[in-house]
Amino acid sequence: MLDSILVANRGEIACRVLRTARAMGLRTVAVYHHADRAAPHVGLADSAVELHAEVPTAAYLDVAQIIAAADHTGAASVHPGYGFLAENGDFAAAVEDAGLVFVGPQPEVIRLMGDKVHARAFAAEAGVPLAPSALMEGSFEAFLDAAAGIGLPLLIKAAAGGGGKGMSIVHDAAELEARARTAMSEAERYFADGRVYAERYVEQPRHIEVQVLGDGRGNVVHLFERECSVQRRFQKIVEEAPAATLPAELRARICDAAVKLAARANYRNAGTVEFILAPDGEFYFLEMNTRLQVEHPVTEMVCGIDLVEAQLRLAGGEGLPWTQDALSVTGHAIECRVCCEDPARDFLPATGRARVLRVPHGPGVRFDGGISEGQAVTAAFDSMIGKLVCRGDDRGQAIDRAVAALGDLTLLGVDHNIDYLARVIDHPAFRAGALHTGFVTEHADTLGVPVLDADARAAVVIAAALGVDDFRRLAYDIPEPYASIGAWRN
Amino acid sequence: MARIQSSIQTGSAEFRRHYSHNRALAAELHERQRQARFERPARDVERLARQGKMMPRERIEKLLDPGTPFLEFSTLAANMAYGGEAPGASCITGIGMIQGREVILCAHDASIKGGAWYPLSVKKIVRCLDIAIENRLPVVHLCDSAGGFLPLQSELFPDKHMAGRMFRNQSILSKMGVKQLALVFGHCTAGGAYIPALSDYSVIVRGTGAVFLGGPPLVKAATGEVVTADELGGCDLHTRVSGTCDYPAASEDEAIAIGREIVAQWDCPPKWDIQRDPIEAPYYDPDELYGIIPDDIKRSFEMREVIARLVDGSRFYEYQPAYGTTLVCGYANLWGYKVGILANNGVLFNDSALKGAHFIELCNQNDTPLVFLQNITGYMVGRDYEAAGISKDGAKMIMAQVGSHVPKFTVMCHGSFGAGNYGMCGRAYDGRLLFSWPNHQIGVMGGEQAAKTLTEVKLKQLERAGDAVDQATLDKVYNETLEAYQHQLSAYYSTSEVWDDGILDPLDTRNALGIGISAALNAPPLERGYGVFRF
Amino acid sequence: MGATTPARFTDPAMSTSFPFTLGGQTHTLTIRARRPALVVEVDGRCYTVREHPSAAPGESTLRIDDRLHEVTRTRESDRIHVKLDRTTWSVGYEDPVTAAQHDAGGDDVLRADMPGVVVSLNATPGATVASGDVLLVIESMKMQINVVAHRDGTVENVHVEVNQSFDKGTELVSLHPNT
Repeated sequence: MLDSILVANRGEIACRVLRTARAMGLRTVAVYHHADRAAPHVGLADSAVELHAEVPTAAYLDVAQIIAAADHTGAASVHPGYGFLAENGDFAAAVEDAGLVFVGPQPEVIRLMGDKVHARAFAAEAGVPLAPSALMEGSFEAFLDAAAGIGLPLLIKAAAGGGGKGMSIVHDAAELEARARTAMSEAERYFADGRVYAERYVEQPRHIEVQVLGDGRGNVVHLFERECSVQRRFQKIVEEAPAATLPAELRARICDAAVKLAARANYRNAGTVEFILAPDGEFYFLEMNTRLQVEHPVTEMVCGIDLVEAQLRLAGGEGLPWTQDALSVTGHAIECRVCCEDPARDFLPATGRARVLRVPHGPGVRFDGGISEGQAVTAAFDSMIGKLVCRGDDRGQAIDRAVAALGDLTLLGVDHNIDYLARVIDHPAFRAGALHTGFVTEHADTLGVPVLDADARAAVVIAAALGVDDFRRLAYDIPEPYASIGAWRN
Repeated sequence: MARIQSSIQTGSAEFRRHYSHNRALAAELHERQRQARFERPARDVERLARQGKMMPRERIEKLLDPGTPFLEFSTLAANMAYGGEAPGASCITGIGMIQGREVILCAHDASIKGGAWYPLSVKKIVRCLDIAIENRLPVVHLCDSAGGFLPLQSELFPDKHMAGRMFRNQSILSKMGVKQLALVFGHCTAGGAYIPALSDYSVIVRGTGAVFLGGPPLVKAATGEVVTADELGGCDLHTRVSGTCDYPAASEDEAIAIGREIVAQWDCPPKWDIQRDPIEAPYYDPDELYGIIPDDIKRSFEMREVIARLVDGSRFYEYQPAYGTTLVCGYANLWGYKVGILANNGVLFNDSALKGAHFIELCNQNDTPLVFLQNITGYMVGRDYEAAGISKDGAKMIMAQVGSHVPKFTVMCHGSFGAGNYGMCGRAYDGRLLFSWPNHQIGVMGGEQAAKTLTEVKLKQLERAGDAVDQATLDKVYNETLEAYQHQLSAYYSTSEVWDDGILDPLDTRNALGIGISAALNAPPLERGYGVFRF
Repeated sequence: MGATTPARFTDPAMSTSFPFTLGGQTHTLTIRARRPALVVEVDGRCYTVREHPSAAPGESTLRIDDRLHEVTRTRESDRIHVKLDRTTWSVGYEDPVTAAQHDAGGDDVLRADMPGVVVSLNATPGATVASGDVLLVIESMKMQINVVAHRDGTVENVHVEVNQSFDKGTELVSLHPNT
């Protein structure tokens, strides 16, 4: 068993990992950039080390400083969270080279799955279904011909990309070449690797992913699937476990495919295999994420387990905590990603200060937050500041609880998507489970900020006015008899 | 305190007759006020609009706190003077509320002769500044005046209480520590330049506001210098170079917003804390006042019925109910404030004069403000009454009233004739506010009495001269006297001359007194002590 | 209580009112009465308002006519963040003096407060500037002073040149009145 851990991350995931680590009795170390000095994760650890960088995000990408911090504090292990260095094979290798335990898969598995072209080839070898695709193996022209052969619409993706970045949909053969060239230069700019590949684009696909856990020696269990179909610009907004609707047989095939893939890689620790599910019931491998995902809590809540605890035990040398038979799903869980963005301005990230933050409570309600009340929300970091996860005995109850909890969640001082999330999950189409990755676009009209009638607008303005001292004085501090006489003229 | 038991028969013919008479008088009052306030020749309205200026009442409404009252003084000043060409005497004065503070407003009305000051304008403005001094009320000046109305300069310039008195009063207010703000919307010429200069704070509107001791025509005549009003004394000169004005404003709206902001900075000194209870509306309907007041100046009425429709809960604790019954005295609450009321139910006799004097002393002992409701034809005359000392007793009542340290308020409810006016706190007796009802008449004596008296005199004259007594001559004397008196006795004449602070619809009396009492409590009590009572 | 005394001459357009912006639109709020309860007019309609503070700071229950609302709010200079029942809004508010200045256009000419010399010029006619941008640097009394734009706008004219000396009150830079 591990005795100490450094969490190389920030925000809600750092808080979440630190909580389980502390509960398990590990000595905990947090790292932070100066911009995060008031952040909650800093205070949750037994000790904290400041990382130095001009750009705040760069601090959390600084391999040398992080390893030095672990060394300095005597932390025996490093948990990378998600994002930042979580899927950086060189980081994992550096951690292990420094004699520390990396809480995650082997560096070579990270690298394998990080290269989307290699990962697809590996999946094919494992017998996992793949969407028709074209790789850039020879000339650019050969690639274009192969791509044209996939059929339209198709998706051009960066080989070194991931997390929804560097992708574009091509509907028209005429624009294929131009789009391919743009994708290549973007890939070069963002991922330092200009390789792209093309894949059949499934219309109205559902995004189904499977949580897997491996012991690194070929033993893998799955913790069933999650559905993450509600997205915007390839970023997930709402996730749930289990999938909204899925025939048992299809579920079994998808989960088996995920296990097959992970086992073939001798996968170690936690990971997620992502698939596209077409309306016709065909499913295709998308990618494998070699880390703990943002939406892992929904799996935890329906399986009744703590994934971070499982990660730490595996990293500490224990075997898999459960056999496949011991795992089952009860009830349904929904997660909403709470982001500081302005729904009225195309969800542009918003900045401000979380002057008021009140978190909901209740049966089946869980809030994994990453900021404290009073903390500034800046453009330095990602706009997601927390996740609201609600469990119910069935999907309907989970949605009801989530709608209520979103209503109880109060964040004032920075624009946010909380009201928008409530509109999404309360939408009849969502409740009916009619999900696909174009959900928010399809229902954009009905998901917009509701138009208030005159009385509702007046109520908002009156509520606001009572927050203005000048107005309050005029409303309440007029002395008698002037107040009682009122607007009289002789 | 027990409620007054009303015995008015609202269905009686007399009540109904009085009611329609007084309703008509009230309607006439409102119509005449409406005209004086709002009817202006189109060319004057257009001129202001062209200059980018608001009408003065618009400025006032934007300046005052929303949903609060404005007690305007002497709306009908000068209504029977200057051929009617200066309604309201081209100015607007009153008590209003700005940012929760009671203030005196004094606004020039540039829609009338450019806001020029007639003699009665000066009198009205000096009066509002006197009110500010007596009650320690901050003043907001809304300046927009062409200066003195030169054709009548001898009636507005040289004497003690003429134009110079405005600036003397401003200086006294300042010496007392009472704040003044000047909002310069138009010209402050000659003496008018002293208004912002003597104010603690001033705001001036760019383009239209100007302050100069001599305007461009006068400067050209005096030195030959040719200069525009703006160059001579405009916003930028006075806010950047001379420091005469504190804040520039690009618009009247901005000036008003800055003015409100300035007033919000002022502290609220504590007020004199007199007895106060929760506020309660009168039990009887004030509307019934119309039916109570007679339609004939010679007829009297029961003042307790009037009191019942003015005071909280219609409750009244009468003092000496069995003695001196022609003067009703007692305590009541008005908008929660405890007040002592003296009201005439007939001629003043020895006993009523003594009772009045004693009650006034009791009110002073108790720090209770006094409210005088006048309907008086005088003191009783005759040998028996003189023998009993009615002159002494009337004098004692005057001595007690003048020696009061509590604020006094007077309402002329009907007649105010002769010496009765004095004891009952007429204009000369420094009441904080004095109002009339539309039916009010004031004079040394009534019109018919005067006509009869002067006809008698003429008759005696003719007889002594041995001339023939010509009935036509006598009739002429009678009719001319009556006409002259009726012209000068009416409330409209009185208010025109600013002998009162305005005519009130009887229904508005309660509100006016409530505001007056509240305003008066900004000043501490006066010096205590009476003169010598001739016992 | 004053019920039989008619309220005269209360033109709603004239009374002091508070402008608030919500969703890009301005809504004007005026106080109409305070007894027996606060009555407020918003966009021409009147509402009776009663407020009951609750234990938590910034939270209260608001009764508007016969509807109850839970309110949480916090003010931040020119914005009030309000949560009314289950939805959050951001309401803009401008203090009356600033609002009146915006309407009037404000002062468009920057003048010298004291005599001096122009050291450098940053502004050029037609340039877009933001409030706080340094338009020119002047030297006076052995000190160098930045002359900054007092509002966003477009430069209309630069009236001085580098090395030019000027007196107090000299116009230095003017902004377009309508920008």
